[in-house]
Amino acid sequence: MSTENYVCIACPIGCPLELVHEGDQIVDVSGNKCVRGAKYARQEFTDPRRTFSTTVPIEGSNWARLPVKLAAPVPKDRILEAAQAVHQLRVQAPIRMGEVLARDLLGLDGVNVVATRSLGRA
Amino acid sequence: MFGRMNRRYDTVVVGGGPAGMGAALGALDAGAGKVLVLERDGEAGGILNQCIHAGFGLQYFREELTGPEYAERFLAQVIDRDIDVMPSSYVTGLAVDSEGTKQVRVLNERAGLASIEAASVVLAMGCRERTRGSIRIPGTRPAGVLTAGLAQKLVNQKGYLPGKRVAILGSGDIGLIMARRLTLEGAEVVGVFELMPYSNGLNRNVVQCLDDYDIPMHLSTTVVEIHGRDRLEAITVAPVDAHLQPQLDKARKVPCDTLLLSIGLIPDNELARQIGIQLDPVTGGPVVSSTLETSLPGVFACGNVLHVHDVVDYVTAESLRAGGFAGEWSREIRRPKDSIQLVPGNNVRYCVPHTLSPDREHTVFMRVKQRVEPARLRVGGLMEKTLRFVIPAEMISLKIQPEMLDRFHGDRLTIDIDPA
Ligand SMILES: Cc1cc2nc3c(=O)[nH]c(=O)nc-3n(C[C@H](O)[C@H](O)[C@H](O)COP(=O)(O)OP(=O)(O)OC[C@H]3O[C@@H](n4cnc5c(N)ncnc54)[C@H](O)[C@@H]3O)c2cc1C
Ligand code: SF4
Repeated sequence: MSTENYVCIACPIGCPLELVHEGDQIVDVSGNKCVRGAKYARQEFTDPRRTFSTTVPIEGSNWARLPVKLAAPVPKDRILEAAQAVHQLRVQAPIRMGEVLARDLLGLDGVNVVATRSLGRA
Repeated sequence: MFGRMNRRYDTVVVGGGPAGMGAALGALDAGAGKVLVLERDGEAGGILNQCIHAGFGLQYFREELTGPEYAERFLAQVIDRDIDVMPSSYVTGLAVDSEGTKQVRVLNERAGLASIEAASVVLAMGCRERTRGSIRIPGTRPAGVLTAGLAQKLVNQKGYLPGKRVAILGSGDIGLIMARRLTLEGAEVVGVFELMPYSNGLNRNVVQCLDDYDIPMHLSTTVVEIHGRDRLEAITVAPVDAHLQPQLDKARKVPCDTLLLSIGLIPDNELARQIGIQLDPVTGGPVVSSTLETSLPGVFACGNVLHVHDVVDYVTAESLRAGGFAGEWSREIRRPKDSIQLVPGNNVRYCVPHTLSPDREHTVFMRVKQRVEPARLRVGGLMEKTLRFVIPAEMISLKIQPEMLDRFHGDRLTIDIDPA
């Protein structure tokens, strides 16, 4: 049996997590103050994923950039590739917060690019 | 927009960040009839507008939002309640007449200089970042040395990348967040250099902003020299000894074109100082009573102008309370004077508010001087609590119940945080 140590990133508390496994089989998770920590450790062990925020150029608004986020996480080793794909997008004001700007980024189901603020016309 | 504005309000709030918006809602809830928020920038939201990462609102909105989302949702509540929000309005002064009425002097982009009357005022001007001047790094003064918050604004709102090879001094959360942000934008972040033997940022940010991208964090290390004539070319870094003195024989040069400073925040209190409000030299913010009232009667303070907070949910909770007391004040409700002085004891750098009243529940915010793991927090002889660990970068929030103060007959209550 071996153990993996993680820091839970699901909330600012950052519980230190310990995951015990036998090969691919998870035997135990401890250190988490709530269920989200256990879920995070399992996910991190089997298929680590992250979301991120970035911006895309916007035309016709007072600001040069529209902030966006991913609606679902991408595999950790594809973050930079995903960021580059988001940076290719171009949008035009007005935009409403929550608007979906692109669907299924990199062909990943549910990984939509969503506007995180409204920007009116200048 | 200025044309619609009245000349008399029950409560006027200075600053339209989360603290200002929270105070306005709190004032309205407490019965203030007409409430005005004055914001210097072109839009309300404060620093949240540039904090595009997720991590806001877990407590207040019960979900994890990005800064702009938190600001937009919060502003929608404010506007829904018929609170006047006036952007591009810079408050330049405040005077109190013999009746106690406040005259708020404001410079508006279109309307010029105006004076607005208010029964009560809430200060919510936020904070500034410490700059190179506050830590005195020797060397040249090339372009490319800037604060992490300024870099955040340039990248996230203007779409301008400050450099290609970036070093970061200080492990505060803004610096960590910017390490990830700049990496996503294609810059190379060569490392984070932290003077203390521990990170000042949240562990989750060390994991998801540095470890995920293989960005090294060098603890007990500082920048001892800056090189470059017009543009930054390199920095010299050196490990520090137990007394935080750099060991120059172990110094090394790190080539980079940009240095971000993430070395702390200070309340923005020009206005408070100018009108003679008493300030706490430790927090840099006003001295306040348990109703978050400053030394000037009817003038309240909340958010980062009072003391620097690390999470916006704490700011919102505090400003709803401050606004509530300001709203009461405008209806001529006066609370009894506080009778208990709160005293920062062992390992406590400060606590806010500065005084308490035995008649109701209080939330006390405090910070420690040094890391202790685990720690025991004691409030006079009244209560004791064990904490897993305490670090200067993480604010501690403590509820004190009236039943507890009921049993207390002194006038000074000391808070100590010692190793458990
Ligand atoms: C650069 C930076 C990054 C941060 N990142 C994070 C983060 O990632 N996560 C987090 O939880 N917290 C973060 N914080 C902490 C953050 O400051 C608080 O969470 C919260 O935004 C503070 O709210 P506030 O309303 O007190 O201040 P602010 O949001 O700063 O709002 C103050 C407002 O007052 C206005 N103002 C100032 N003076 C005047 C005047 N004289 N007249 C009129 N208006 C005036 C300013 O323009 C500003 O809009 C960050 C802070 C800074 C400085
Ligand atoms: S386990 Fe729960 S409490 Fe601990 S960091 Fe994760 S989400 Fe937060």
